[in-house]
This record gives sequence, C-alpha cells and structure tokens, in this order.
Amino acid sequence: MTAPDEEMLMRWSDGELSPEEARRLEAAALTDANLAARMSALRRLRAAAREAFAVTVDPRDRDLARLIAAQSARKRAADDGPRPVWARWPGALLAPRVAAPWAGLAVAAFVGGLLIGPGLTPGDGLRVAADGALRDRELVRVLDRRLASEGPDGDGRAVGLTFQDAERRWCRTFQAREAGMAGLACRESGAWTVRVLAPLDAPGGEVRTAASDLPEAVLMAVDAVIDGPSADAAGEARARDAGWPGG
Amino acid sequence: MDDFQTGLVELLPRLRRFARVLRPRDADAQDLVQQTIERALAARRGFRPGTRLDSWTFTIMRRIAIDEGRSALRWGRLVSPEDETTARVEDPGQADEHLRADALAVRDAIHGLPEDQKHAVALVLVEGLSYAEAAKVMGVPAGTLTSRLVRGRQSLMKTLAAQGVTG
Repeated sequence: MTAPDEEMLMRWSDGELSPEEARRLEAAALTDANLAARMSALRRLRAAAREAFAVTVDPRDRDLARLIAAQSARKRAADDGPRPVWARWPGALLAPRVAAPWAGLAVAAFVGGLLIGPGLTPGDGLRVAADGALRDRELVRVLDRRLASEGPDGDGRAVGLTFQDAERRWCRTFQAREAGMAGLACRESGAWTVRVLAPLDAPGGEVRTAASDLPEAVLMAVDAVIDGPSADAAGEARARDAGWPGG
Repeated sequence: MDDFQTGLVELLPRLRRFARVLRPRDADAQDLVQQTIERALAARRGFRPGTRLDSWTFTIMRRIAIDEGRSALRWGRLVSPEDETTARVEDPGQADEHLRADALAVRDAIHGLPEDQKHAVALVLVEGLSYAEAAKVMGVPAGTLTSRLVRGRQSLMKTLAAQGVTG
C-alpha cells in the first residue's frame, strides 16, 4: 500500500476506516515499526483524552434531573401536539389553544365551540353563552373574587388552580357542586370564557371532594393551556386585586 | 417523564463532561450544563424522535458556549490564563488528585487548543462521536471537521511531547 498519511492514521484510530482498510493498515504496521509507533501514539492520545475528561458522578446532576422531570405534561402537550387537529372542527373557537390531548378523548363532544366532557349535555346546570362566555352570575362572582384557600362557598362553588395561558390570560379551574360540574375558564374580552366542562363526579359514583380533585378532562385542558407554573396564593390574590389583567 | 426527559437525564454526565472541555472552570461548566438543559427543554419541538439526542444537545451547548464567548469578548471579561489556573487548583469540583499527571497535562493541552479544534477533539476523541455526527454538531462539512481534527491532534501531540508526556 502507499504510505498512509496522517489523516488516514487518524481515521484509523477513530474507527472511521472500513474494516477492510483497517485490516490492511494493521497488516502494514506488522512490518513497519515506524508506522506501528505512530498508530500506537494516536491510540494513546485518544485514550488519554478520554481519561482526562472522565465521566464523573456529580451531585448537582440530581438537581438538574429534577429540573428535567419538572417539565410537566402541559409543556409536552403544547410542544408535541399536532396543532392543526382542531382546524378540522367547524366553529372550533378554542382551536389553537387546546391542542392534542383532546384528540384521545373519543367520548368528548364539541358543542357550540365548547368542549364538553363525557356524560354532559350542553345546558346542564350551568349557563354558558354560545361563544363560551360564562353566564352563571354566581359562578362568575366566585371566579372573580374567590381565592382557592377560601374553599367552597355555601353552594359548593370553589376555585382550584389559577394560572396564565401562553397569551398571558388568566385561567382558573372551578367546581360547581350544585350544578355537578367542574371546568376551566379563562379571561377573554373581560369575561370568563369556559374552556372545558366535565361532570364533577366520576361516572362510577366516586365523589370528588377536594377542590384540587378535578376530572381528568379538566386536568388535561389545564395541561394543554397552562404556560408557566400555576400562581401561588400571593400571585392569585394579586391577579384578583388587579382585576385579572391581560384578557 | 417521557422518553425525551429520560434521555436528557441519562445524558447529564456526558453533558457535564462536554461542558468541562468547553469551560475549564467548574462553576462555568455547571452554568453551561444548566443553560443547555433549560434551552433543550424549551426547544424540544426541534428534536426529531429517532435522531440522536446527544448530538442535538451538544449542538445546543456548543452554540451557547460560542455565544457566551462572543459576549464575554464584547464586555472585555475574558479571564486571564493566570486566573484560570488559580481557579482550577482551588476548584473542589474537579477531582484533580485522581488524575494521573499525564491526563492532567492532556486536559490542559486540550483546553489550550483554539476553539474549533478543541470542539472537534472533544466531540470525537472524548465523546466518541463519528466524524459525520461531529460535523453535524459543529455545522461544518466533513472535510472541515477532519482538518480541524488533524490540526488539533498534531498540536496536542506537539504540546505533550514538549512537556515530556508521551502518552
């Protein structure tokens, strides 16, 4: 073979030669001490580089792992979702904002621009306008004023999570025990617009009690809509006192 | 966690290693890993399943490091070599005592390479990427990657020979 150049030797040491080329080079080294020395020096350099930067166990990786794990389903849903799914729904008012997770909810029905969870017919207990604006005065009052820490009012209306969507609109989950429903509403044009409604009690008769205990359909909607962490008690109070700015 | 997140967690030790090549100071390397993770999480839409997560993440880290280097230059905050040496000796994050003197010399020699050669050496020799993958991470044609590798390696061998480190 012709005298191998530096690049060829380097390729050999990095495993970039074909098996055939490598065999030929190694055969040549058997009778060429100088070549053999150059090849061995390249191999040693590679090994030394790996030793110089050995993989180490670092306690800080645990914090980073937590950071990675903390990326919730909402981000995944927002990022992974084939967004145009909703373009197929006629009159899909909520289209781009509630994305992929719903695709798996075969039982959900989409009525008048509102996604209705399983087991519900529109008009059940809560008054909602065709554009999704919440018309139930008592529930509007609860969403406007009530803090999660205050628990349910006398008729079992309570708010759960408070957070902002990607367009910095405030959204809150709610339960309306008397109406038997839970849902998610966001501020749009100065009104609470219902994004999703679902029966409060699971079909099996299991009763949800805690305000944080929301039907899966609502949790999925939260995951799809939320952008950033949900508000803590102070953030919730500030947003309320500011009149839910941004939507 | 989904596959993407699990993959990132499993990559952490290698990300830290790559960061230690790009940033000699332990605190800087840690910052770089953290920023890379944050950006990878935010940019996960850009990752195509079925492609290599390590290459994708190295690309992000390298870009952050380059951008940072530029802004450091702009702000005149470049650390003098003396500072770096002092910082390394005092650095508890670097377990120097476990390294053979030769490996230590190799590490310093790699840190001393020009950026482009250093990145090529780090990706191929340290991380074990193929030339094709390394070229993709660096955004250069394969031929460019190869010549950077040749020059980087020759320079390393020269530096180490001058110090009497034969490897």
